[in-house]
Amino acid sequence: MATATYPPPPPYYKLYKDYLQDPKSAPEPPPPIEGTYICYGGNYTTDDILPSLEDQGVRQLYPKGPNIDFKKELRSLNRELQLHILELADILVERPSQYARRVEDISLIFKNLHHLLNSLRPHQARATLIHILELQIQRRKQAVEDIKRRREEAQRLLKESIGTLEDTGASFVLK
Amino acid sequence: MDAISQLQEKVNTIATIAFTTIGTLQRDAPPVRISPNYPEAGSGPTPAPNPNPTPTPAADSDADFAKQPKLMSAELVKAAKQFDALVAALPLSEGGEEAQLKRIAQLEAENDAVGQQLEKQLEAAERELQEVRELFGQAADHCLNLKKPE
Repeated sequence: MATATYPPPPPYYKLYKDYLQDPKSAPEPPPPIEGTYICYGGNYTTDDILPSLEDQGVRQLYPKGPNIDFKKELRSLNRELQLHILELADILVERPSQYARRVEDISLIFKNLHHLLNSLRPHQARATLIHILELQIQRRKQAVEDIKRRREEAQRLLKESIGTLEDTGASFVLK
Repeated sequence: MDAISQLQEKVNTIATIAFTTIGTLQRDAPPVRISPNYPEAGSGPTPAPNPNPTPTPAADSDADFAKQPKLMSAELVKAAKQFDALVAALPLSEGGEEAQLKRIAQLEAENDAVGQQLEKQLEAAERELQEVRELFGQAADHCLNLKKPE
């Protein structure tokens, strides 16, 4: 029976001995981490922003600037990609040993393509938010109209019933 | 799937087709005759003991192999065209980040106003419901009281 036992629980469970009687006698949970932290040897950030291409050490092929024309850049990158694939095929026929540079170029283009697409995501998120807000406004307006209609109907019914009651009341009194 | 995910899938598809094409062609390419001194691969040291069955599968696979680049490059170009079509169909509203943020603030304000109206209507409706319930209770009591003398 060569089974290993489970590791013991961490020793600071003793600090929580009187938790039921006095919740404040035990230590507080650790506060949330801000900024960068190291996990299993890798660096992570808590700031969820898409890192720019230079940060990843990749050359940026499309022009930088405040407003990028995404469709045009995506199309031109696509054409570049096709040309490079054709070049690779040619090189393999003529000088097969020089494929490495071409393969690098093709992977560079793919990285640029994916980075462009990822940078479209915040725009998509804002557009989704706008759409959701519009839907909510429409639903609220609909609800307001519904309630107004029902109230008016209720008032109408009440007035009718007053009329019927008066009629029957009068006949009852006369009896 | 939303537009951007479709585009990303299409990019990955183009990459897959590209390396599959080149890999397959490299792996399955028949040998190339460089020098006229070496004999052709077909006429080897044992010159075709049974000529009938062997040439036909060889010729077939050669013909098939000649079709491969055409088929695969047609796939590649088709995928690239689909990518272009998807890019053209992107619902990219011009105006940039500031215009979107302004629109969001505007919609939030309108949402608040309509929310206030909705709350007021709800309160009024609740009050009326309460009154009607009271009146109904009173009417039911009167009914019960008046029915006794029968």
